[in-house]
Amino acid sequence: MFGRNRKHDQPRPDENFEPYEEFSGIPMPVYWIAIALAIWGALMLYDTGKDVTLAQDDRVEDRAVQVSADLGEGGNLFVANCSTCHQPDGQGLRGAVPPLAGSEVLGGGPDIVARILLRGIDGPIRVRGEDFDGHMPSFASALNDDEIARIASYVTLTFSEAGTKLDPSRVAKLRDELADAGSFEGGAELAKLATSMSPQPLYPVPKMADAMTATVRDLVFVGRGDVWACASCHGDLGQGGENTPRLAGQSADYLAKQLNDFRDGTRNNESMQIVAAGLSDAETASLGTYFSTLRAPSNASPNLSADLARGEQLALRGDWALGVPACFTCHGSSGFGVAPDFPALSAQHAPYTATQLATWAGGDRQNSPLGLMRQISQALSSEDRRAVADYLASLPPVPAGQTASAEEATSNVN
Amino acid sequence: MNRYLPLSILALAILAFATLMLVIAPGMQIDARSVPAGLRDYTEAQQRGRDVYVAMGCVYCHSQQPRSPDQAPDGERGWGRPSVASDYVFDAPHQLGTMRTGPDLLNVGARLPSEDWHLTHLYQPRAIFDWSIMPAYPFLFEHKQQAETDDTIVILPPAYAPEDGVVVAGPDALDLVAYLQALDRTYPTPTDGLRDDGYASGPSADASSVEEGDG
Repeated sequence: MFGRNRKHDQPRPDENFEPYEEFSGIPMPVYWIAIALAIWGALMLYDTGKDVTLAQDDRVEDRAVQVSADLGEGGNLFVANCSTCHQPDGQGLRGAVPPLAGSEVLGGGPDIVARILLRGIDGPIRVRGEDFDGHMPSFASALNDDEIARIASYVTLTFSEAGTKLDPSRVAKLRDELADAGSFEGGAELAKLATSMSPQPLYPVPKMADAMTATVRDLVFVGRGDVWACASCHGDLGQGGENTPRLAGQSADYLAKQLNDFRDGTRNNESMQIVAAGLSDAETASLGTYFSTLRAPSNASPNLSADLARGEQLALRGDWALGVPACFTCHGSSGFGVAPDFPALSAQHAPYTATQLATWAGGDRQNSPLGLMRQISQALSSEDRRAVADYLASLPPVPAGQTASAEEATSNVN
Repeated sequence: MNRYLPLSILALAILAFATLMLVIAPGMQIDARSVPAGLRDYTEAQQRGRDVYVAMGCVYCHSQQPRSPDQAPDGERGWGRPSVASDYVFDAPHQLGTMRTGPDLLNVGARLPSEDWHLTHLYQPRAIFDWSIMPAYPFLFEHKQQAETDDTIVILPPAYAPEDGVVVAGPDALDLVAYLQALDRTYPTPTDGLRDDGYASGPSADASSVEEGDG
């Protein structure tokens, strides 16, 4: 606009005219647009910055839950992890779970409690003159050094006279020392460490050898002709990984049923259908028995970055607003499974659990008794499925080296 | 044209600013990350396998960058936790990929650790998944009448097995499988893990900020 007026004022250009650029101010709207863009950009930066911090916090929080559940004093940890079996007052369950209050084992101080938490106990033990024969899981994978130290301190301070505090660094040392030690072989092995204990019953020779026939060994480690070996995917100890499930300690009947279902086509999975195609009923049964006797430390972790508190709620109490019962009502206390129909869930890999829930909901897997799992899975949102899968992955693995279900473990009178 | 000096200075300044913000600053940010505790450098065989992976163009159909649950259900698929920058310290060049015609492979070694399975699958994917659209790589294998002592025989269902003799894995196939088995980033996310989280959804990311983000 301004330029045009000035042009008319000028004389006609002569031949020597050199074109030049006139100075004209930047129109105001351009300024406004630039300023608006700058403000918008700054706002966006601020806004995404908030999102990034949010995600960062989320990740740190996830990790915090994994490595150090901040539950204050050991008492809360005790209630969350121990009291379902040992009872909040530490009296145990008569005939099933040994008492902690007044137990001779605690004479060894918090050190021995930490050892038991890290290793677990299998087989017969005599506490306060009474015999028990159950299985305590190893909490090495479920609790960190700090948590174990706090529980051990709490247990000895509360339930024995000579309690002292235990330092997390000591637990770290014990953890290194005991990495491959496996469970305590009943009270007999424990008594060697805790001299205050009365004479203990003998630990029976394990029946591992029975399940390990030559056929099974070949199937597991070598494979046969046109199938791959079990261990090549599920690991030497049946520990699995990601969406390859953990088999160690799973109920024998359940595993045999799944293999039969793969073979008959009632459960879908291309790789497993190929593997199971050539197996006889006797072979699936002995493979089931073999994997049920395996004991492997948990290598599962809650890696789906879901809400663990929600997962815990679903597993322990269910959500009746959705019509979802607690997982543990059927799958046994602590998710150790109830043979033959309800598999162990604890220490199962989170991606596997979440995938199975999704396949039930979608109808790709439908071999659960009475269609129970289909109904439950469909009621759960995908966040809920991830949450419960993550929570189950954070639990200690099934302790029993036998086909013991949770029912049997807690009703074992002798 | 006059005033070329201020113009060129301005152009160079803009270029320098962009380089600083888009190249130098992110570079420094990434260099500050340490090698994660659970990650090991590739062995020689795995490195050779990596070269085969690159040569075969696997990256065109397979990404190596699991996403966060906000973006895709990669965790539930067993593809692993969202990757962070330090997961790739030993990858040069990285094989991030953009296409997902096939599954993400950054954690294939964790979910499918079986050498035999991978050999079968590389020789003929349809031997396992009849719906698979992945090309077969029979040229990485050898057809022999009689396997020699140090040969790795490929396990094949009868329908895909040769009429006589056996299929044994060639050196490239073995290296490639070694590399695939090494793809395992399932260790916990490093606390200083660096990742573009985009628009994270959470309680404090309210509806209005999401709307703005779309604009």
